[in-house]
Amino acid sequence: MVLLKNVPPPTEGVRHQQAETAAVLDGRALGSGTLYVAETRLSWFDGSGMGFCLEYPSISLHAISRDLSAYPQEHLYVMVNAKLGDEAEMEAEKKEEDDDDDDDEDNSEDDSGPITEIRFVPTDKAALEPMFNAMCECQALHPDPEDDDSDDDFEGEEYDVEEAEQGHGDVPTFYTYEEGLSQLTVEGRATLDRLEGMLSASATQQYHMAGVRTDSTAADFDDGMEVDPGSTVAGQFEDADVDH
Amino acid sequence: MMEVTHSIRERTIAENSLVILLQGLQGHVTTVELRDESSARGRLVNVDAFMNVRLEEVDYCDRRGRPSKVAELFITGRNVRYVHIPDHVDIMDTIQTQLQKIHRVRNFGSSHRGRKEYSKKTASTL
Repeated sequence: MVLLKNVPPPTEGVRHQQAETAAVLDGRALGSGTLYVAETRLSWFDGSGMGFCLEYPSISLHAISRDLSAYPQEHLYVMVNAKLGDEAEMEAEKKEEDDDDDDDEDNSEDDSGPITEIRFVPTDKAALEPMFNAMCECQALHPDPEDDDSDDDFEGEEYDVEEAEQGHGDVPTFYTYEEGLSQLTVEGRATLDRLEGMLSASATQQYHMAGVRTDSTAADFDDGMEVDPGSTVAGQFEDADVDH
Repeated sequence: MMEVTHSIRERTIAENSLVILLQGLQGHVTTVELRDESSARGRLVNVDAFMNVRLEEVDYCDRRGRPSKVAELFITGRNVRYVHIPDHVDIMDTIQTQLQKIHRVRNFGSSHRGRKEYSKKTASTL
């Protein structure tokens, strides 16, 4: 939130733009200009390019005021939670104004922090609604970064809640033999068959490998750790020292 | 007025905090007290997951107690201190209703319909 001069108005993400809008800053009329409600910041510039920008996190609230007893014109009211600076310039002028200032925007007695009150008074009163709505939308794009509450259960990145609910968290990360078999695609089955063929060809016939026997029913399935006693070959284990 | 946000992130935040209660108050007249000790009483138009509050037809009292009427008011979540729950509002009912709305939105278009999303996964998903 800054008082800037000769900064060009934003060109991107402008949700609403309103020409012929007067700006009144803490009671001080700045003349007529154009209000830009952009996604990145709120800004206002007069005809000569002088103006100011506001960052949305610095805005406490904004409102449409139609109460002519509170202020003689319908306008968009914005409360900023800081003092607008160019501090030296603004404060010097404020001090001068305070002396004969019967405007009751006297912030010296407030304890809850300095504020700046800005009123944007468009010539076209019908524009107040779209101006207000555009500000609501842009404000929602800038949630409070210091807010702890909403971060506790929710860390960083967006995730698809539906996917998390319906997805693989409920399914075990491994399949039992029967389940795994039923999940295979045609290609998967072909690969499995090929591997089985390779395994049974390379290993000794006596060994039943876990998961390889496809013809067995569940009842016949063993864990493959046991040697089939009926089919040992003499001398089979003589080379048992050799590492495989 | 009581629609659920289209943002996945906001639904998640709302579901996991009491903001969901405030969202259920949309349409009611309530008082919001701000951190700077001003207050606003009006009809709750919208509360988002960040507790940004939008009110209409508001009686606003600034921090020095000066009253004024405000047609529409948007209060940044950070500046909300209290939101008064109207006496006639059943808090548990409100929360349950809002949760149901969120679940309906979340499961829209999926194979789960109605109450099935609350039951354990059955063989149909294995």
